Amino acid sequence: MESGALTPPARQEPRGDLDGCTARLRELLGRESVITDRQRVRTYECDGLASHRTVPAVVVLPENAEQVRAVVATCSAHGVPFVARGSGTGLSAGALPRSDGVLVVTSRMRRILELDVANERAVVEPGVVNLDVTRAAQPYGYYFAPDPSSQQVCSVGGNVAENSGGAHCLKHGFTVNHVLAVSVVTPDGQEVELGGHAREAPGYDLLGAFVGSEGTLGVVTSITVRLLRVPESVRTLLAGFPTTDDAGAAVSAIIAAGITPAAVEMMDALSISAAEQAVRCDYPEGAGAVLIVELDGPHAEVEHTFTEVSEHCVAHGAFEIRTAADERERALIWKGRKSAFAAVGRISRDYIVQDGVIPRTALPEVLRRIAELSASSGVRVANVFHAGDGNLHPLVLFDGSDPGETERAEEVSGAILDLCVEHGGSITGEHGVGADKVRYMGRMFTPEDLDTMQSLRCAFDPEGLCNPGKVFPTPRLCGETPGRRRGVHPLTEAGLAEQF
Amino acid sequence: MNERTPEQEPAPRESGRLDPSAPVSSGAGGAFDAFHPPQRELIDDCVHCGFCLPACPTYELWGEEMDSPRGRIHLMETGLDGEPLSESMVEHFDNCLGCMACVTACPSGVRYGPLINRTRAQVERNHRRELGQRLLRRLIFGLFPHPRRLRALRGPLALYQRSGLSELLRRTGLTDGLPASLRTMEELVPPVRSAPRIPERVPARGERRAVVGMLTGCVQHAFFPEVNTATARVLASEGCEVLVPRGQGCCGALSEHTGREREAVAFAKRVVDTFTTAGVDYVVVNSAGCGSTLKEYARLLADEGEYATAAASLAERVRDVAELVAELGPVAERHRLELTVAYHDACHLSHGQGIRSQPRELLRSVPGLEVREIERGEICCGSAGVYNLLRPEPAAELGELKAGNVRATGAELLVTANPGCAMQIGAALRRRGERMPVAHTVQVLDAAVRGLPAETLLGRRAPAES
Amino acid sequence: MGTPAKETVPEELRRAAGEERVGRPGPADVVDGGAPRWVARADGTDSAAAILRVAAEHGMTVVPRGSGSKLDTGGPAAEVDLLLDLSAADEVLEHAAGDLVVRAQAGARLRDVQRVVARAGQQLSVSDPRPTATLGGVIATGTSGPCRQLYGGVRDLLLGLTVVRADGTVARSGGKVVKNVAGYDLGKLFTGSYGTLGVVTEAIFRLHPLAGERRWVAVRVPDPESAAEAARLFRVCQAAPSGVELDRPAGGEGITVCAELEGRVGATAHRAEELARSFERTLGTAAEVLTRAPEWWDELPHESGGTLLRLASAPADLGELVELIGRVEREHGVSLALRGAAGLGVLYGAVPAGVAPESVARLVEGVRAETGRLAGYTTVVHTPPRVKELVDVWGPVAAGVGELMRRTKERFDPEHRLAPGRFVGGL
Repeated sequence: MESGALTPPARQEPRGDLDGCTARLRELLGRESVITDRQRVRTYECDGLASHRTVPAVVVLPENAEQVRAVVATCSAHGVPFVARGSGTGLSAGALPRSDGVLVVTSRMRRILELDVANERAVVEPGVVNLDVTRAAQPYGYYFAPDPSSQQVCSVGGNVAENSGGAHCLKHGFTVNHVLAVSVVTPDGQEVELGGHAREAPGYDLLGAFVGSEGTLGVVTSITVRLLRVPESVRTLLAGFPTTDDAGAAVSAIIAAGITPAAVEMMDALSISAAEQAVRCDYPEGAGAVLIVELDGPHAEVEHTFTEVSEHCVAHGAFEIRTAADERERALIWKGRKSAFAAVGRISRDYIVQDGVIPRTALPEVLRRIAELSASSGVRVANVFHAGDGNLHPLVLFDGSDPGETERAEEVSGAILDLCVEHGGSITGEHGVGADKVRYMGRMFTPEDLDTMQSLRCAFDPEGLCNPGKVFPTPRLCGETPGRRRGVHPLTEAGLAEQF
Repeated sequence: MNERTPEQEPAPRESGRLDPSAPVSSGAGGAFDAFHPPQRELIDDCVHCGFCLPACPTYELWGEEMDSPRGRIHLMETGLDGEPLSESMVEHFDNCLGCMACVTACPSGVRYGPLINRTRAQVERNHRRELGQRLLRRLIFGLFPHPRRLRALRGPLALYQRSGLSELLRRTGLTDGLPASLRTMEELVPPVRSAPRIPERVPARGERRAVVGMLTGCVQHAFFPEVNTATARVLASEGCEVLVPRGQGCCGALSEHTGREREAVAFAKRVVDTFTTAGVDYVVVNSAGCGSTLKEYARLLADEGEYATAAASLAERVRDVAELVAELGPVAERHRLELTVAYHDACHLSHGQGIRSQPRELLRSVPGLEVREIERGEICCGSAGVYNLLRPEPAAELGELKAGNVRATGAELLVTANPGCAMQIGAALRRRGERMPVAHTVQVLDAAVRGLPAETLLGRRAPAES
Repeated sequence: MGTPAKETVPEELRRAAGEERVGRPGPADVVDGGAPRWVARADGTDSAAAILRVAAEHGMTVVPRGSGSKLDTGGPAAEVDLLLDLSAADEVLEHAAGDLVVRAQAGARLRDVQRVVARAGQQLSVSDPRPTATLGGVIATGTSGPCRQLYGGVRDLLLGLTVVRADGTVARSGGKVVKNVAGYDLGKLFTGSYGTLGVVTEAIFRLHPLAGERRWVAVRVPDPESAAEAARLFRVCQAAPSGVELDRPAGGEGITVCAELEGRVGATAHRAEELARSFERTLGTAAEVLTRAPEWWDELPHESGGTLLRLASAPADLGELVELIGRVEREHGVSLALRGAAGLGVLYGAVPAGVAPESVARLVEGVRAETGRLAGYTTVVHTPPRVKELVDVWGPVAAGVGELMRRTKERFDPEHRLAPGRFVGGL
């Protein structure tokens, strides 16, 4: 069982008129779409990070934008907090429900509304599965570039909330670079369109700020995504190295040579052995690290660059290099990498999937420090990462049934994030802050930085009803009138919140 | 044929074993009793990644977490943790088709099969269904595992609708479920064709490469006897001596998949007895659902004393017909068949037994034959054993989805290796006002080996039996 | 908003910024033709923060400035109390070549940054034809050139930002790694916000390898429809152009559509030749491969004293966009020079200097109504102050979005002291 932080207090003090809100939701959506049966709502108590659990009071399953608008407006009118959820695959407990609130699940909103090939874009509902966009676009020679490992199940709405990346974002960017517009229901129940038909429209880039706001600024009801041409040529290489240092040096050399691969992935010995056990990916025997490098683009460029990449790998100690001759072999190379997270379950009872970022050049130093941490604590750490952009996914292995081991693993996991911050990196590259990492935000940002971000939050959600408790470590109140403060809020007085 | 139902057999009582028929209080106050609850350690394998969601037919239909594999495992977990076995919990377990597509999709290797089977057995023991459902289940299980009763059913089923009995039943208010289920049954059943009875022994043609015992199955035997004859012919052509033991009965698949564990165990024992005595190298099955159950006999009979070893030994020798022909390596010459076919993966063949490439390769090896893939092929057609009778509405919806995707291939013939799928998709196509001939993989091979024209498979010309 | 007391302000500003850095405006310190009361120069985040704290205390309105190359862009400036000059904050602080990242002060000139990173064979994939353009100005206005077709705009390349808020608080977001989803991405919010939410003092950008070779494939077409078709073919071709631009001189016959290809030595020339050949096949028009960019490439069609418009539609509506501009030109008897990102559907249109302000205003209204019908927009980039009095340079925004923008401004600058009135909707 994958595990993470200790679960925060599961019950929240009721904030608004939940009963009134539920009754109204039933009138609006019908009983079928409003779930309160305890056992049923419990299946929604966690997302992809099962170590955080809170049973929602109500789960609603809207089927269209108007229903989402009605749900949000009803919650707002009754002062009831709400949380949006897509496929529930997030790894930061970003869709962790509220026991005093409504969980708005978009899994029934999975229509592709428009495929506009002429403008190279598609309009989809938020529950549409990431890979289904590509499936729909492929007959026209297009695809949707963001490819998180969970792309066969995660929803585009979730991608927007988390600004999801993936192995190929090294070259092609993240969700935010591929979203042209979103229809959003703001926390007060208004539907607005951010972005639009024409590019680079004047005004604040609220779309850019919205993508990656982890569901704290509103609920999306439709998304216009950019489609990319399926590249003329794709080449994939697998190289085995004696050590991660050698593999890291090869990555640096490739980048220094002015090459921008579509993806550069690295796995260390422990994660390779897990993947071997799970899917028999048949990676080079005895490798201390493997690199997967993928290039895409115009045929002539790719062929030329591919040779160069192979040479850099050899020059830095690669003892075996394989190239995929066809799509089947390419899938085989990727299989080990893509199964790595789940595969680790076969070599350890419990594990934490960590997500941190460092400048790529700090890779050897940080890996050494992680190894030291592991040695001194006795906690094993397997490393899988997007080496091209320094996004580490250390897998911290432990056995939760062993007393004290969970805490030790938590400690190592947190220390790794400290290392990332110390090297000028980030506490999360793609999984998001959610409920899981709010406690680390203060290590990366000052209170002023966080206040500034919360200014935007207050503009969208002054009542703090939209996915409260995520992203920001301290609950803050937006105040009635900016600049002028009246009286003292009871929560402030009770020391529960700071006046903002 | 032995007509005694297994329920009449005395339940085995072995020392030190809990008697499942005796009421067991669930000590923790949870959903399950202490006899074979869903395994906690298998539940713990689930990391909640959700990769199973898009593969699940009921999630496809309703988009609800509790009707996804992840949600059902979560329900099992909360059941172990103290949540009672409520109506809603049972409903979501019942909704599962048992297609095992989630097992294929799972990167963590969660063994959902044993989990849902144990859960179903618990539901059957510990949950009292409403009257209508109980009657329906009794009807189904008094019928389906019994080939002779099944064959006798065709006429009355047709009569049922004409007679106004359905209207009568509805007015009795016994249940809302029954008429829909019976209608489904009537729709599904194809016209009974006659086929010659297969002799108990069919000699190998040419050099004998193996001795194989053939499971004739219940539904296959009753409604698709020609599939059995084709299987015997193809195997013989490929150098197999085929033995067809009499009195082999039902394999227990339908019972096990519905949680009727004791019934399944009794059926399984008879099959083990039959084929162990026959002395065969392989047991060949041409019905996907039966095959996957036979392969699981070691687990099903693990607690059954001396049967455990015999079951394990038999299970290792079980092969799907396509699997065996591919394994032996085809030797019989294939004649040309100008035909485009859509190959439908039966869940219990693809997800249950991991057999995907062999039937396709065998079909492609026929000169002139083109195999087309069905969009979203991994999603169940809704047949799922007797699911389409127990849960007719979702089954019909899934059938329609599948029929649409099958039609979209533009193929002339639908090929599948499971009688349930063939009936289900056929019925869905008929509801669309369309007809599409359906054949078993082995019937296509049979035609190719015998040099029959494509028309025989397309139903335009009756096949000449030999 | 209070009126700053004349006597104490300069003293406090001097204490905050340093003796030499505060003064009365000179002839170059003009915002929309009007002079600010004071000019203070900051050389970094700390001094900018100190100055803004003083400004906050006295309720002063503030307009930030880099080199001033785009200072006339935006709504008409009301009376400005303080011009905050960041041209002295011009240092390139860190070029982490191995990480393809550069960190620089907001006053650093784009061209200087390019020079520094080019030494390591890298480029910041942003361009601005104004030679003195600074990073701060490029961010504040969201300006980039042809290469945004491939690399994205300023917002797509900006990794981290340091800003000083209206009250003098310093805040950072993002960081110096490309992949980072911790907290809100304020870089996006500040890009194109025209100094109305805070003053950008430092920025971190991602870099790209400098291309070894460049080629341009140009095709001349007779009408808007074939221009659109040429742009489409460039846009969707497998050669992955870094820019797809269009040029139509004022009153000129014919349109040139041109794509830039960049890549490795040898391979790029080959790709360009192939692309040109495919054009002859599909469009039936000869395409020319150039080893140097056409002279109009990445240059504004603008002339001093004239008016520069930005006109946009969905990329696939490019033909209709050019067509409708032609209609408006005929109706108003004015001929525009058109140029810009044909691949994105965002063009610049230049109105010559001699046209009367009233006529310019009418033309803007006319073309704005037409682009609105295409779900596009028209904004005014550069224009004499007189025109701004007659026409809204930004044009309308949808009510819901306008309200969100207003609320955002309220939260960041509740007293409306930062570049007041210069932004969309009068913010």
